[in-house]
Amino acid sequence: MKKTHVLSVLIMLLALSLAACGGKKPPVPNAPAPAPSAFPGAVTPSTTPARPPDPPPIPPDTSVRATPLLPWEDKPLEEINGPNSPLKPALFLYDSDELDETARKVLTADAEVLKSYKTWVVTVEGHSDERGTAEYNLALGDRRAMAARNFLVSLGVGADRLRTVSYGKEFPFDPAHNESAWSQNRRAHLMLTSK
Amino acid sequence: MRIRTTFIGFALAAVVFSLIIRERDDAVVAMSLQANQQDELALALRDPGRHYRLALPEFTVGTPDAPLSAAARTIAEVLWNDINFEREFYMIPRVDAARVPVAAAEALPYQQWAELDADFVLVGAVRRTGTDLTLELRMVSVKAENRGKPYFAMGYTCKEQNPRFCAHSIADDFHKQARNLDGVARTKLAFSSDRDSSRVAGRPSQTEGQGKEIYVADYDGAGQLRLTVNRSLNINPSWATSSLLSYTSYSSGFPDIYLANLATPGRLTRPAAGNDRVQNQLGAWSPDGSKLAYMSNETGDMDIWIVNRDGSGRQNLTSFPKADEGSPTWSPDGSQIAFTSTRATGQTPQLYVMNSAGTAQRRLLDVRVDRPTWSQQKFIAFTVGGGPGHDIGIYDFNSPGGVRVITDGQGSNESPAVAPNGRHIAFFTTRWGKQQIAIIDSDGKNIRQITNSGNNMYPSWQPIAR
Repeated sequence: MKKTHVLSVLIMLLALSLAACGGKKPPVPNAPAPAPSAFPGAVTPSTTPARPPDPPPIPPDTSVRATPLLPWEDKPLEEINGPNSPLKPALFLYDSDELDETARKVLTADAEVLKSYKTWVVTVEGHSDERGTAEYNLALGDRRAMAARNFLVSLGVGADRLRTVSYGKEFPFDPAHNESAWSQNRRAHLMLTSK
Repeated sequence: MRIRTTFIGFALAAVVFSLIIRERDDAVVAMSLQANQQDELALALRDPGRHYRLALPEFTVGTPDAPLSAAARTIAEVLWNDINFEREFYMIPRVDAARVPVAAAEALPYQQWAELDADFVLVGAVRRTGTDLTLELRMVSVKAENRGKPYFAMGYTCKEQNPRFCAHSIADDFHKQARNLDGVARTKLAFSSDRDSSRVAGRPSQTEGQGKEIYVADYDGAGQLRLTVNRSLNINPSWATSSLLSYTSYSSGFPDIYLANLATPGRLTRPAAGNDRVQNQLGAWSPDGSKLAYMSNETGDMDIWIVNRDGSGRQNLTSFPKADEGSPTWSPDGSQIAFTSTRATGQTPQLYVMNSAGTAQRRLLDVRVDRPTWSQQKFIAFTVGGGPGHDIGIYDFNSPGGVRVITDGQGSNESPAVAPNGRHIAFFTTRWGKQQIAIIDSDGKNIRQITNSGNNMYPSWQPIAR
């Protein structure tokens, strides 16, 4: 008799709780108020429901960053243009302004450097060895500088970062009078002018 | 800022230089002393084929003192050199003439001059007149049939402190009167030199980068004077007139042509108005000084452009594609321009000529040449040969077709510039070691060294002042 009474109480409790769940749904939260209008009294169109606001962005984790190593970034111009310059000269054959495979490789590497250091402005100097006549070498040096510049532009270096100048045979890299010196002197020399 | 530095640097040197140029104001006054002989000998004197033997001994000096005697000696020596330079007379060597006693015109030891086989003696008497120096100069015949007859008698008044200029002025007057020749004794040479070079400002140590400055000297090498002080690369000076000189300077970081007025130092002008994209080189002025022809890379290759001295009327005369044109030079009448072009070969510069409007372009020579320079004497001189050794060659309009080489293969010889009378050629040579300016006659004789300090290049010969 006592067991039956306990069961009936349980049933009653269950019935009560079911009744509570089956009642009216709780009201949905109110839609956000229309944005304040620049024209007081203007009616905001209400045909489409207003978009809910984005949650505040999660700030990026800045504890780990990946950037290319730019060892020349903080070096002075004088050092960048020094003997260990990252910009290597393209060398030419005697009386030629043609870029051979070696010269193209050198300039391709130079172009990569220039793409890394995006603010560098470079003067491409055209030089010759001492053998041709002085006046002719001014034109030859100009052709060499233009050939190197145009190749760098074709590789994607901005033309506005490249100036050219011909020095003819005035500024040899090696002042000696032999083929070893001459081969170094026939060059398009990249000199950093600003960064 | 760099341009400004150029200007200031130039102005400093120009102040000094204007003093030299101002010697034009120290005009030597010439006055005929008597009617000269008008006979067969007088006519023969002007025969360009005859070269008489001329003695020019020391001058007599009235009431001598040390400065006056020194000035007299300098004038006699420089005058001897100036007359010898033009080769219109066979000059009896000064050591031989020194054995004959110095005497006035009235008391010449004719016998001794005759023993030296002199045709004439140029007798001079110097005296001081106030602050000036007066020289009476007579050319007296030695040969028996005309002995004692004066064929030239002039009085000259000049500044005692400038005896070299005095002598040069007398030499030019003497050549004009005695031989109807435009002498060049008062002209100067401009050239580029690294003798005082410092490292070019702002240039890194990767290359040598030694600067060059523009210098001016008398035609005989005396009085060498630095003109620019901008510590950059300054090359290829070119005279527009006897007082206007242009040169190519890299002082703004790229080559452009700067024009300076040496008589009144002031602002430099840049008639071709270059910039870091349009670069200008190798200027050459029309004979009247009104137009500049030059080489520019404006179209992507080198062309000959011309522009008026005031910067107006700029135009390209050689738009031949993918060829380099350079080294313009004007014909003496200004109607034509000779230049080099690679249009026929793609690489080798050859000699071309065109009208000064750019029409009728044609090739004169198919050998490799550079830096043509057009002479009054109907020839064009140029550098010939592909290197390492070059020589100076001549294209003669009187016998066109070939090249006459006038240097002898010693060292490398480049960049000829012709004297205004067309008879002499300045160039630079390595025959004495470094690059030095030398002068040679157009027949290849009488080479003489003008510079001896540093490397010296790109000579330009001053026109005769008009």
